[in-house]
Amino acid sequence: MSETKTFLALFADIDPAVEAIDSLREHGVSDDQMNVISGIPLTDRILGRPRVWSNVPRLALGGALAGLLLGTFLAAGITNLYPLKIGGQGLVNGAPTVVLIFEMTMLGLLASTFIGVFLDSTFPSYKPKEYIPEISDGKIAILYSIPEEKESEVGDMLNSLGVQSITSAEKHQL
Amino acid sequence: MVATAEPLEQAHPIETEDPHEHLMLDPRPRGEMNSMVMDGMQTTSWKFWVVAGFLGLIVLTCLLISWGYLIAEGLGVAGVNRPSYWGIFLVNTVYWIGISHAGTFVSALLRVMKAEFRRPFTRAAELMTTFGLIQAGISIFLHMGRVWLAYWLFPYPNVRTLWPNFHSPLGWDFLAINTYLMASTMYLFLPLIPDLAMARDRSKGWRKLFYRILSLGFRGTEGEWTHLRTAMTIFAWAIIPVMFSVHTIVAWDFAAATRPGWASTIFGPYFVIGALQSGIAAVGMVVVLVRARMKNMKYFIRPEHLDALGKLMLVVSMIWAYFFFNDYMVQWYGGDKFTQMLLEFHEKGPMGWMWFGMLICNVAIPFLTLWNKKIRRNPAMLFTIGLLINVGMWFERYIIIPVSLTINRMPFTWKLYFPRVEILLSIGTLAFFVLIYLIASRLIPLVPVWEVQEGQVAHGLRKVGKAEVKTVSEIE
Repeated sequence: MSETKTFLALFADIDPAVEAIDSLREHGVSDDQMNVISGIPLTDRILGRPRVWSNVPRLALGGALAGLLLGTFLAAGITNLYPLKIGGQGLVNGAPTVVLIFEMTMLGLLASTFIGVFLDSTFPSYKPKEYIPEISDGKIAILYSIPEEKESEVGDMLNSLGVQSITSAEKHQL
Repeated sequence: MVATAEPLEQAHPIETEDPHEHLMLDPRPRGEMNSMVMDGMQTTSWKFWVVAGFLGLIVLTCLLISWGYLIAEGLGVAGVNRPSYWGIFLVNTVYWIGISHAGTFVSALLRVMKAEFRRPFTRAAELMTTFGLIQAGISIFLHMGRVWLAYWLFPYPNVRTLWPNFHSPLGWDFLAINTYLMASTMYLFLPLIPDLAMARDRSKGWRKLFYRILSLGFRGTEGEWTHLRTAMTIFAWAIIPVMFSVHTIVAWDFAAATRPGWASTIFGPYFVIGALQSGIAAVGMVVVLVRARMKNMKYFIRPEHLDALGKLMLVVSMIWAYFFFNDYMVQWYGGDKFTQMLLEFHEKGPMGWMWFGMLICNVAIPFLTLWNKKIRRNPAMLFTIGLLINVGMWFERYIIIPVSLTINRMPFTWKLYFPRVEILLSIGTLAFFVLIYLIASRLIPLVPVWEVQEGQVAHGLRKVGKAEVKTVSEIE
C-alpha cells in the first residue's frame, strides 16, 4: 500500500485556486483530504467546498439560556432566599426582573459565542502546524493529501493552473 | 405655443468613479498593505515618546497622586456635597460611557447595515469603546472614596446576610456596564485575531512572541474563518441592544428619581443619542489624528471616510436636537414650580453660559458647517467640530447632573457645586485614555487589513448606461 503525502500548493488568486480544488477532486482527492488556508474569509460558496459546520450558534443559545437562568436567580431567587419586605412592595417586581434577565441573557449569549470560537477552532493552539507566512500576505494555500505515486501527476496539473509553489507540507512553529 | 427642448450641444461626458477617491476601488497587494500597517505601528519618532512621557506625567500627577490624596483625606477634599453628591465624577462616567457607544455603533450597526465605508476605521472605534469604558469604571471608583470596599457592590451575602438589592437602577448599571465592557472587549478581540496572526508572521523578537500568544495559533483555515465569521455576526446583532440598554440604564439612574429635570420618560433614548453624538464626534477626531500622525494611514483613511463620518455627525446632531427640544418642551409645558425654576436656572443662572454653550456646540455648529461637503472632507475642520461637539456633550452632562441637582424641592439645600480635586482627576482620566490609546496604536494593527482586502475583493466598477458606478458584491 502506497504512502500518503501532504502538500501545500500556493496560489496568488482565488480563481485558479478554485479551479485547482475542482481538478484535485477529479484526481481522486476527496474534500476531507483538502483544506483551504487564506488571508481573507472565502465562503464555501466561493470555493465550491462543502459547508463547514459551526457549533458557535448552538453554544451561543446554550449560553443565553444559562444567562437567563442566572438573571432569573439574581432578580427573583435572591429576594426569596433573603426576603426583605419594604413598605408593601412585592419581593419580585416585573420591570427590574426584565432588566436583569436581559443583561444576564445577553452576557451569557456573547460570552458563550466567544468561548465557542475557542472550542470550535481549538484555540489557543501553539503546536507546529502546516503553514507559510505568505498566506497572510493574501496568497491562498490548498493543503491536500495524495498517495505518493500521484505526486507528479497532480503537480503537473497544478502547474498548468498557475500554482506559485508546491511544497511538502511540514509542520512549523507559527 | 408648444415649447420644444433644445438639443444639447454636446453629450454629457462619461461619468466615471475616480478609483483613487475610494479605498475600495484602489486596491494594493495584501502584502503591501500589511507592510504599510506594520510600518505605521512600528515607526515611532521622538515626538511620540515626548507626548507619551508628558501624558504619563499627567496621569501620575492628576490621576494617581490626586487619587491618593482623595483616598488619604477623604471625599471632603472634593467639591461634592449636599445637594450635589455626584459632581464631575458622574459627569465623567456618563461622558465616557457615551464615548464607548461609538465603537459598537461603527463596528456593529454599520456592519449589520453593510455600510462599506466603515471598514478601515472599525478597530480605531472599537478601541475607543473598551478604553472609554475603562475611564467610566475608574470614575466610579474615584467617586467611591473608600475604594477598597468596592466589593460591596458584588452580590454576596454580607455580615447581615442581606444581598445587594437588584431593584435599584444602580445595580442594573453595574451589570449593564460590566456586560458591555466584557462584550465590547470580546468584540474587539475576535476580528483582531487574523491581524495579530499577520503581525506574528512579520515580526521578530518580543513582538513575535507577543503576537504569537495573542493570535492563538490562527492560520486562516476554512473552519477558523467560518467560526470567526459566525461569531462576529452573532456579536454584531447581539451587542446592539446591549449598547442601547447600557446608556438607557444610565439614563434611568436619573429618570427613575422624581427630581425636577430628571423625571422624564424620554431620558433613555435622549441619553443614547447623546452618547452617539459625542462618540461619533470622538471617532471623527481619532480618525483624523490617526490619519495625520501615523505612517501610511492616508492610504487607508481618505476624505470619503471623513465625509461619511461628518454626515453621521450631522444626522445624529439633528436627532439630538429633536430629543433635547422634546424633553425641554414637555418639562416647560408641565408647569411644575420647581421644574420651571430649574429650567430658568439652567438658562439664566450662573451656569447659563454652559447651557448656551451646549446648544451652540451640539446644534448650531454642526448644523451650520457639516452640510458642506468641503468642510466634512477637511480633516482640521472635522477635528475641530468633533472637539466642540464633545465639549458640548460634556456640558450637557454637567447641566443634567450637578447643575440640575442644585435646584430641588428642598430650597434650604440649594447650593451651587464647585469642583475641586475632581478637575485634576478629570484631566487625569482624559490623559489616561489618550495614553493607553497611543500605546495600543503601537501594539495593535489599527486598520483591520483583512477586512479592507475583503472589501476590495467585493468592490468593482460597473457600467450603467454611460456612467461607470461603484458596485459591491455580496461575498460575505
